[in-house]
Amino acid sequence: MTEPEALLLPPDDGSWRLADYLRRGGYEAARKALTSMAPADVVSEVRRANLRGRGGAGFPAGVKWGFVPPAGPGPRYLCVNTDEGEPGTFKDRLILRRAPHALIEGLVITAFAVGVPKAFIYVRGEYARTAGRLEAALAEARAAGFIGPRVLGTDFSLDVVVHYGAGAYICGEETALLESLEGRRGLPRVKPPFPAAVGLFRAPTVVNNVETLAAVPGIIRRGADWFVGRGLPKDGGTRLFGVSGAVRRPGVYELPVGTPLRRIIEDHAGGPPEGRRIKAVVPGGLSAPVLRPEEIDLPMDYDSLAGAGSMLGSAGIVVIPDGAPMLDILHLTARFYAHESCGKCAPCRIGTAWMLKIVERLRRSGGRPADLDLILSLGEGIRGRTLCPLGDGAAQSVRAVVTKFREELEQAVAR
Amino acid sequence: MSGAARVGLTIDGRPVEAAAGASVLKAAEAAGIAIPHFCYHPGLEIEGNCRMCLVEIEGYPKLELSCSTVVREGMIVRTSTDRVRAARKDVLEFLLAEHPLDCPICDKAGECLLQDHYGLHGRYAGRMAEVRERREKKIPIGRGLILDRERCVLCTRCVRFLRQVTRTGELGVFERAVGSELGLAEGRPVDNDYSGNLVDICPVGAITSEDFRFRTRAWFLDRRPSVCPRCARGCAVVVESVTGYPLAAGERRVYRVTAGVNPAVNGHWICDLGREGRREIDEGRLGAVLRKGVREPGLAWPGAVAGIAAAVRSVPAAERPGGVAVVLNARLTSEELALARELFVAGLGLRNVFFAGLKPGRADGLLLTAERMPNGRGVLEAGLSPRPPALEALAAARVLIVFGPYLTEHFEAGALGRALAAVPAKFLVSAHAGPLDRLFDAVLPVTVPAEKAGTYTNIDGLRQGFSRAVEPAPGVVPEGAVLARLARSLGLDIGDADAR
Repeated sequence: MTEPEALLLPPDDGSWRLADYLRRGGYEAARKALTSMAPADVVSEVRRANLRGRGGAGFPAGVKWGFVPPAGPGPRYLCVNTDEGEPGTFKDRLILRRAPHALIEGLVITAFAVGVPKAFIYVRGEYARTAGRLEAALAEARAAGFIGPRVLGTDFSLDVVVHYGAGAYICGEETALLESLEGRRGLPRVKPPFPAAVGLFRAPTVVNNVETLAAVPGIIRRGADWFVGRGLPKDGGTRLFGVSGAVRRPGVYELPVGTPLRRIIEDHAGGPPEGRRIKAVVPGGLSAPVLRPEEIDLPMDYDSLAGAGSMLGSAGIVVIPDGAPMLDILHLTARFYAHESCGKCAPCRIGTAWMLKIVERLRRSGGRPADLDLILSLGEGIRGRTLCPLGDGAAQSVRAVVTKFREELEQAVAR
Repeated sequence: MSGAARVGLTIDGRPVEAAAGASVLKAAEAAGIAIPHFCYHPGLEIEGNCRMCLVEIEGYPKLELSCSTVVREGMIVRTSTDRVRAARKDVLEFLLAEHPLDCPICDKAGECLLQDHYGLHGRYAGRMAEVRERREKKIPIGRGLILDRERCVLCTRCVRFLRQVTRTGELGVFERAVGSELGLAEGRPVDNDYSGNLVDICPVGAITSEDFRFRTRAWFLDRRPSVCPRCARGCAVVVESVTGYPLAAGERRVYRVTAGVNPAVNGHWICDLGREGRREIDEGRLGAVLRKGVREPGLAWPGAVAGIAAAVRSVPAAERPGGVAVVLNARLTSEELALARELFVAGLGLRNVFFAGLKPGRADGLLLTAERMPNGRGVLEAGLSPRPPALEALAAARVLIVFGPYLTEHFEAGALGRALAAVPAKFLVSAHAGPLDRLFDAVLPVTVPAEKAGTYTNIDGLRQGFSRAVEPAPGVVPEGAVLARLARSLGLDIGDADAR
């Protein structure tokens, strides 16, 4: 890896305060953008950097910003998606803890680029304690003139509001997040129109993930080429890979996009504990279809994972060891989506519940291979037929467990 | 054709034209291609939750919502490919997996979108072997509405109606996932004057009306359009009466009045006052001619009209303008008003032609007008002057002919009785029995608006013709027939009630 100060995530040594951040060159990028660049130049620099959204969908951030119509008379908003709810994912939390000013600086630059005077940070309710640091950092930034009226003495002003969600997974979906932020039930909206055109309070809105925004200062400070060079040409930069489950050193690892999955698990996270073997790996949060051990020699970037029939998602890697019953994995997967489905779309609302009922019956009293086929068929009835990707996540994750571990499951349900 | 831009697209291989900005679903509908749906309703904002209207659009990898996708030039849409049909079948299988299938006791049976869509797009072998969610099945939610949560498919038409149309917001969806259910916001019952529309728009039997529950089956109902006579708005209504089996004595004929569709007037909604108009079609009706308030068996309406004519003739022609008084009302159709003008004003030269009617009520800012008579504008258009009745003029008349029971709206009973007592010959023409009946020499039973054809001009000046929606009882005729016969008896040629 390159010089430590270029890392998005500094060491966990309590150096999260403004003074520490400034010592590492913090807010230089914001100063550069606000005082020497036109907003359009900031957008094109980020577009050139191929910064793909770190929330899960991987949409290029610069392109997303470009969808916002040119500044008009009405309001427009920037929302930071801090509703990190994907099971197996805990990277954004570390940014809040260790680098809150990186998020704030990225927020300032992005707001300037898109011409937004008001930003909301939507934090999942469970992160209220962690977000105490974010709020403290915001107070520091406000006192130092990095946010608030006339940022850095320029004509640009930025008001930032922190809003806490109530803990629904669905509120990580950007339109459900907007509904929740407006004070309603967090349910996804029909798209189009996309938030860039009709978003928060019906105004043009950019919604970006925490890690995405935290990566922006580096791009502005060191340039798009530097950022691309740290990752892959079409998928730039480093990513925070969260590794949990059966590994010796679980944690978050900042590594170049494209680092092979096996190396992340074995070299960085130390591989499975003594005497255990990898049975399965969830590569990008629970919604990413599980991989068998022979499938993990893959570069961790959006396109490679998609090519392998899975997805990079939130880059939350869960290592499942031998000995873990896949019927249990199937159960917890089905249970999660049946519990978190918002209930708006009929296929997801009823399909996830039906799948769970079958799995619960299989665990309780066994069943037949046809039950597994029915689960697959119900998943196909959900996949691609819902407003948001929650239904897809449910269908594809359940499908992967059933198809890739079918033999074990058939044996487990035979009584 | 307006100047609005048109877009050309292809649906199921057919070239179709649609207005720019229209949805694929609407464009298909206009071309005669029905796309099944639950949550879509033309009078409400798009919700996209039922997933029943998914179609294939070339260039899109997934099936797309036809209710929300806007037509584009050159778009190629397919609504009945294997993929689309499979998706419809899957949605129905999901909805029915958590549905009680209590159609045999469900009021909606026979007019239920779940049933209809299953018949056309479902037809699968059931695979649901798990235990269904149990939910409450008879929750009173206010205004005589009953909510059945097991039947609900969570299309949220009702929720959206209450938010977007009445803006009262009584209903909402609570909990989430399969636990999602419809409920009253903060325990506040549904209480607005458009509540009956919730029953109309519920695609299944989740919201039913106490007034209709368990009383007849949808397939026995004969549905015919009419115009609501209960205020000056002139909303399109559908009068639904039983024709499928012989009625027992005293049994209702008209089981309900529901909203008709008229974009120029009421869109898709009617108020509860209009809906309750079903009662006045059946209840308190006069079925035979009365004499001094008592049924006169041998006397039919032509005989009674002859009596009126004789009374009029008994007044010398020169004295008739002041000696014969008439009270009309704005429930008469424009055709009947024209006859009345020809007969009473042009023909007999009467000076005392009055109009009585219901007292104005409160306008609700949505559809219901303050004016509670349907054809006030028609009165003016007929060249008549809507003068309210003057008690002295009525009392001074030698012959008084009153149409409708509305004098009680204008005068206190005692004063009215004294005034009428002074009139030597008096006749009432009315659809409903009432306190005036015994004060008149004869009462002629006539039809209510739903039983006749004619024209009303609404408060905005829109002329709306309507046809007979229910057959009147034998011996009950429209006022127009009474007017025409009276004119003939008096030797006047005033045309015919049916000449529109």
